[in-house]
Amino acid sequence: MAKEGSGSILQFAPLQSSVDEGFWHRLSSLKLNKFGIDDSPIPISGFYAPCSHPQVSNHLTLLAESLLSDSNDESTMPSVIRGNRNRCSVPGILYNTNTMEGFHALDKQGLLKAEAMKIWEDIHSGKAVEDCAVLSRVLLISFADLKKWNFHYWFAFPALALDPPATLVDLRPASQWFTLEEAESVSTACNEWRNSSVTADVPFFLVSIGSDSHAAVRHLKDLEACQRDGQKLLFAFYDPCHLPNNPGWPLRNFLALISARWNLKTVRFLCYRENRGFADLNLSLVGEALITVQQGWREQQSVPNAVGWELNKGRKVPRCINLAKSMDPTRLAISAADLNLKLMRWRALPSLNLEILFSLKCLLLGAGTLGCQVARMLMAWGVRRITLLDNGRVAMSNPLRQSLYTLDDCHNGGDFKATAAVRSLQRIFPAVEAEGIVMAIPMPGHPVSSQEEKSVLEDCKRLNDLIDSHDVIFLLTDTRESRWLPTLLCANRNKITITAALGFDSFLVMRHGPGPFNSIPNLKAETEDSLAAGMDNLVLTNTDGQHRLGCYFCNDVVAPTDSTSNRMLDQQCTVTRPGLAPIASALAVELLVGILHHPNGIFAEAEIANSSSGGNFELPLGILPHQIRGSLPHFQQMTLLGHSSNSCTACCSTVVSEYRKRGMQFILQAINHPTYLEDVTGLTELMRSANSFQLDWDDDIEVADDECVEL
Amino acid sequence: MQKEDIDQISQIDTREEETCCSRNEDVLDDATLVQSNHHELHYCDFHIVYSSTFRVPVLYFRAYCSDGRPLPLDEIEKELPACASKELSKKKWTFITQEEHPYLKRPWYKLHPCGTAEWMKLLFLSDTANPKFEVVLELYLLSWFSVVGQVFGLRFYFKISN
Repeated sequence: MAKEGSGSILQFAPLQSSVDEGFWHRLSSLKLNKFGIDDSPIPISGFYAPCSHPQVSNHLTLLAESLLSDSNDESTMPSVIRGNRNRCSVPGILYNTNTMEGFHALDKQGLLKAEAMKIWEDIHSGKAVEDCAVLSRVLLISFADLKKWNFHYWFAFPALALDPPATLVDLRPASQWFTLEEAESVSTACNEWRNSSVTADVPFFLVSIGSDSHAAVRHLKDLEACQRDGQKLLFAFYDPCHLPNNPGWPLRNFLALISARWNLKTVRFLCYRENRGFADLNLSLVGEALITVQQGWREQQSVPNAVGWELNKGRKVPRCINLAKSMDPTRLAISAADLNLKLMRWRALPSLNLEILFSLKCLLLGAGTLGCQVARMLMAWGVRRITLLDNGRVAMSNPLRQSLYTLDDCHNGGDFKATAAVRSLQRIFPAVEAEGIVMAIPMPGHPVSSQEEKSVLEDCKRLNDLIDSHDVIFLLTDTRESRWLPTLLCANRNKITITAALGFDSFLVMRHGPGPFNSIPNLKAETEDSLAAGMDNLVLTNTDGQHRLGCYFCNDVVAPTDSTSNRMLDQQCTVTRPGLAPIASALAVELLVGILHHPNGIFAEAEIANSSSGGNFELPLGILPHQIRGSLPHFQQMTLLGHSSNSCTACCSTVVSEYRKRGMQFILQAINHPTYLEDVTGLTELMRSANSFQLDWDDDIEVADDECVEL
Repeated sequence: MQKEDIDQISQIDTREEETCCSRNEDVLDDATLVQSNHHELHYCDFHIVYSSTFRVPVLYFRAYCSDGRPLPLDEIEKELPACASKELSKKKWTFITQEEHPYLKRPWYKLHPCGTAEWMKLLFLSDTANPKFEVVLELYLLSWFSVVGQVFGLRFYFKISN
């Protein structure tokens, strides 16, 4: 489109800024490691290139390389920023303030004038002719809030304002101004200029065309020679703008140079633009501008006015960008972890329910060898909400086997395990929501005095509340009797409960069956909430011993008693083979994930592993056993099934209803009177009648749990 | 044109607010074109980087808005041409991970290279003619790109020069 007419003011399309996120990253790094509170101006280099797309203008870009390299960086970035055909260097300066108030208080007009002054001086000294890159400059003011990763900034591209402004006589696509031969020659000459590493980043040049239509591209300093030749002369520049009716911003200072240095009043210019790396004379523009003699421009002292602050969507306000997502290390850790789990889902397990894992609340009773490993495995599966309960302190021998602790946790008698564990989890993955509870679990067979009664009852209540407010409970303590109360409370509330217990060279991992009072067993347990809701409309159908899977105590015929006193010292701190805890913990968490993906959840029937099942499973995660017992000496593992017992001291209907009727008094009685539980469940009766037959029970008992203690 | 003092700026948060007027200062002049349309552009950068672990080229990419704000993967996928996103979901060797760019040290996404060597072998095995080593070398990157480019709906234009 040809635009003719006299007197219309030549309007330039402003440069647009674009800041690569790497620039802010390097600035933050420099600020933190090198500059500190020093807010002296920082030299920067902007980059731009001629327009390469008919619909999109090129921006003036700041990259990480725009800043001097961090002295702590191992990169071998050269200190002098060399341009290439895609990057013309624009010298510039950055004023980064330490506060928001400082940002507002900057004298913006003053700073703009100072940069304009540098261009003015370069024009008059001749430097702009020698090294024309200095005709464009970039001024950036910023405030980097490194706590919230908010970057406030404002660009200015200083331009010397002609007063009165230049007028546009003509503007049209270059292909319409040149003859066909001239156009071809100009394209060839420009492409050569662009392909040579010496001139590729020289953004202002001359195009002179002889009477033979042969075009030559020359440096600015050859102007006098070109003028003597009397050939057609165009002042050319790399134009980042794509608009058909406006030249780009760099022409402003170019015209200022031409007027001030060479006193030309008519200027024929070429806005050089490209397409796919080659000169595009349809996109490029040729125009003619008229410059009125500027008052006092030949003298260096009078500095013209400067304009150039960038608008933000048409408004004179700074810009702000928040980069927390890509710069905050915690956020990066979260997105990396999420991506990892999603990969598992995409690649191998499309039915993986990550949402249920993310929202799950797990309570770990015990923060020892088992607790530490279970916590880590849960985090690896994407579980973020973990509570650890333990009343012990980290001992010197613990860090070797309890994977969340280090020697630092052992000083001054040792930190509380629950607290140290939470700290450790947060160091591994800052987004974890971990809580530590320092508390002892009340145990039957460890009677309490009347003074202690009140606090023990409070602990019971607290444990009950904790179990209520979590979805899954792991029993990972080091005694049998400490598992009793949690088992009862979980059975009462129908919570998913997983037990892991260690012998010297054997382990047990099992999931408890549902409690004795529950709704129809073929519930679809989508979420734990629906299970809890199921609990509320209880039908007192006692499904004891029929299809309900057993708990940890269901196979016992003795009530849990004090297993720790009256033992030899070496039996009190029992040692297990170190490999057992990681194996058992890992299986415990995998078992949980299996439950969560089973349509019946806690009500899922038990399956046994057998060689005939091969590789085909009904459910993508495989079978869901009830119990896994492993033996290290044999490197063997068995899956077992045990139904609930009518006489179970922890989960039978008798016990649970007693608890519901009498609450804490019942608990207290069980704690203080060792035989009470056996009486209540009828175990006492059972044993009396059994003893009269004088059978040897020991062989038939599967459980050797009284030897299952952990270090 | 209203001239406003840019030195006086009222409360700034991530939503910009107008300045209040005080002194008259030239911010814009008549020679500045004021554009009314502000298109939101998304940019996507692709880098081809050699992986010494897998000994194959790897396609790294990232996307961002014109203000530099990075675009997350789910937004990038929304903008892929329909045929390309199908490729992504069905082919087992085109999954995306986020990793630190080996030179720029910033988080970029990449198409994981673990399957590349295998399917590149298939591509070359299927060619019954026995090409010269130099030809194979030239063709390697083109062939590689013809596969991974599909994921993004990219096509490769090239001029065969003598």
